Amino acid sequence: MVGAFDYAPAIVLLPFLSFVLSLTAGKYLPKGGAFGGIAATAGSLILSAWVFLTVSAGNAYNETLYTWAAGVGEGTTTLTFGLLLDPLAAMMLLIVSLVALLVHVFSLGYMNDEGETGLPRYYAGLGLFTASMLGFVVADNLLMAFMFFELVGLCSYLLIGFWFREEGPPSAAKKAFLVTRFGDYFFLVGVVGVFATFGTAKFAGEAAFPVIAEEALAGGAEVTTFGFAPETWFTILGLLILGGVIGKSAQFPLHTWLPDAMEGPTPVSALIHAATMVAAGVYLVARMYGFYALSPTALGIVALVGGFTALFAATMGVVKRDIKQVLAYSTISQYGYMMLGLGAGGYVAATFHLLTHAFFKALLFLGAGAVIIAMHHDEDMWNMGGLKNRMPVTYYTFLSGSLALAGIVPFAGFWSKDEVLYEALIHGLAGSPLLLAGYAMGLVAVFFTGFYTFRMVFLTFHGEPRTETARNPHGVRWNVKGPLVVLGVLAATVGVVNMVPLHDLTGGFPPEYLHDWLAHGELSALTSEHYGELLHDYAGYTSADVASYVAGAVSLALALAGVLTAHVLYNVADPDEHTAKLGAVKTLWYNNYYQDEYQIWIAESFVLPLARLADKFDQGIVDGVVNGVSSVSLFAGNRIRRIQTGVVSNYAVLLTLGLTALLVVFGVLGGWFV
Amino acid sequence: MVPVEWYLLLAAAVFCIGLFGILTRSNALLFLMSVELMLNAANINLVAFSAYWGNVTGQTFGLFTMALAAAEVAVGIGIILVLYRNFDDVDVTLAKGMRR
Repeated sequence: MVGAFDYAPAIVLLPFLSFVLSLTAGKYLPKGGAFGGIAATAGSLILSAWVFLTVSAGNAYNETLYTWAAGVGEGTTTLTFGLLLDPLAAMMLLIVSLVALLVHVFSLGYMNDEGETGLPRYYAGLGLFTASMLGFVVADNLLMAFMFFELVGLCSYLLIGFWFREEGPPSAAKKAFLVTRFGDYFFLVGVVGVFATFGTAKFAGEAAFPVIAEEALAGGAEVTTFGFAPETWFTILGLLILGGVIGKSAQFPLHTWLPDAMEGPTPVSALIHAATMVAAGVYLVARMYGFYALSPTALGIVALVGGFTALFAATMGVVKRDIKQVLAYSTISQYGYMMLGLGAGGYVAATFHLLTHAFFKALLFLGAGAVIIAMHHDEDMWNMGGLKNRMPVTYYTFLSGSLALAGIVPFAGFWSKDEVLYEALIHGLAGSPLLLAGYAMGLVAVFFTGFYTFRMVFLTFHGEPRTETARNPHGVRWNVKGPLVVLGVLAATVGVVNMVPLHDLTGGFPPEYLHDWLAHGELSALTSEHYGELLHDYAGYTSADVASYVAGAVSLALALAGVLTAHVLYNVADPDEHTAKLGAVKTLWYNNYYQDEYQIWIAESFVLPLARLADKFDQGIVDGVVNGVSSVSLFAGNRIRRIQTGVVSNYAVLLTLGLTALLVVFGVLGGWFV
Repeated sequence: MVPVEWYLLLAAAVFCIGLFGILTRSNALLFLMSVELMLNAANINLVAFSAYWGNVTGQTFGLFTMALAAAEVAVGIGIILVLYRNFDDVDVTLAKGMRR
């Protein structure tokens, strides 16, 4: 077929090669293997761009490449690896490989120039992470997606705990691993459930599970639903898989790992905890949107969780002192928006926000990284101030990212966030109070987003320097500025691909590129057009008539209000800690609503006794039976071995007695003595 | 003609003498002799039944058993020689090394 698809596996394999190279020969390579990683991700980027162009010509690719467990006979399943390249995957490949490339370049400045040790391990981790994320993106079935999902989690663990000699990072790494794993258990059960129900876990094609599910609901296909009504059972499956999504995309209540993950190196935070890995959860929902669209209950829960998380995380971001913590909570909040968009039936809107967020959040984290280099690894914003004139490139790119995050027109974040809220509004007004609640929470969060984003900008870059370090910051080189400029331009302009309000206002200009991009394709079951029909037919979503520019103006006004509040309070020469006036609320927010505390409380007062009980059962009963059997045999063996005297006469006696006994038995049974 | 029961009784008596020898003696040479007695008790039975049925097959078996006994004695004598070389005695209860 088309050339690009033949090379598509190399997109995944190149970073994997860089991982192997850094791991085995990193010590002997210049820069600890950084160039290998840069070359590999650049190769992936070029191939992804080629795939993107091929896909945009109307092609798609959905092939099984390797069968690693073939089912034999009726009712068995075949487990395979394969590639699925459709518009969504092609777009995501481009995002991931571009951000990965920029992060590799940035790492030269953040890790190499700062004289870190253990660089081969660092670049190996980045390479494996990029490979697994790309593998996850191109996965053509749920099980393969799950495997790469887990690999991504493993890399996150390895990279958060990169500075393992300090106290914080290893514990943060363990927390991230365990919390996401808790969600992944549900995901795994969901994968098994999908296999048991449909006999396949493929995303696309004739026999894909969303297609079978749709037929089953229409009465055209028979599936095993374990005694539930098909609608109920599909909702249960969707919610089980949502468990993994909530863990990975840091949604309430499994979001607690993400702020702690900021213990890792900042480029890692940019790559993993902002732009890509956290996106895996949202991407998974988008990938199997044809399945979620069948269940209004699951969609409602997705939307509610998303809207709540958006507001919940935004409030915590308001009071943080650490620049990376503010960004961490903004990340959680923004992923909440994406979930809200997906739940509200705004497949394109959520995908769009995924795209813009990947760029502006990677930008903000890398900008924060530049600031942290300049501040000699001090991350407290109250020690900064006045960095604007001393590091202009960082300032202007960071500002571009902040405007995008706050959702100020015309930066990328405005267009996408606005569309997410718009979708929630129109579908909510048409008779879904759940979506309206999500919309309301999302709308309030817009204000908070504007406020905390610009509180961060003003505290970091404006006013007078508050410490000696801020007066004489450490300089940064091209390898830090380069990625920042690329992302800064993208954060400002990428909204062009989907300016819905402008499109509606001017009556058709500019075209909604992203809508068109996702609406068509060779795999018609994976297009937003098809999803729209599903939402209408099965989930009962209808749209109310609200002009998109009105909704946009409302959210823009709120965002501006947030920015202005921050401007009044913090854009002065020597700002006070105004959040202190919030009193108890600030304490609550600063301590993250005591989320960690209550989770520890649950663990200690419920899980621990349960685990003890299970341990007792295991040690006492399960092991007891095994140990009992073995000690009985040991004892018996010990006694019986005493007849082995080694004296041949004794053996002769035993032989004779045995023969006699045998004869007597035969005699009695045979009736010789009667 | 002597009834076959007498032969069987004789054979049983010879067999029991052999068995008694094996169970009570510890001298290897006496062992060997007792085994010979038991084998020949079996031979008596074979020949007796052969005569009883008027069929020479049993006597052929008796001849084979004798050849077997000769071979067994050769092996037995070999074992006894090794026993003597290792323990300076032909007492079978001394050789207990097979216990472990």
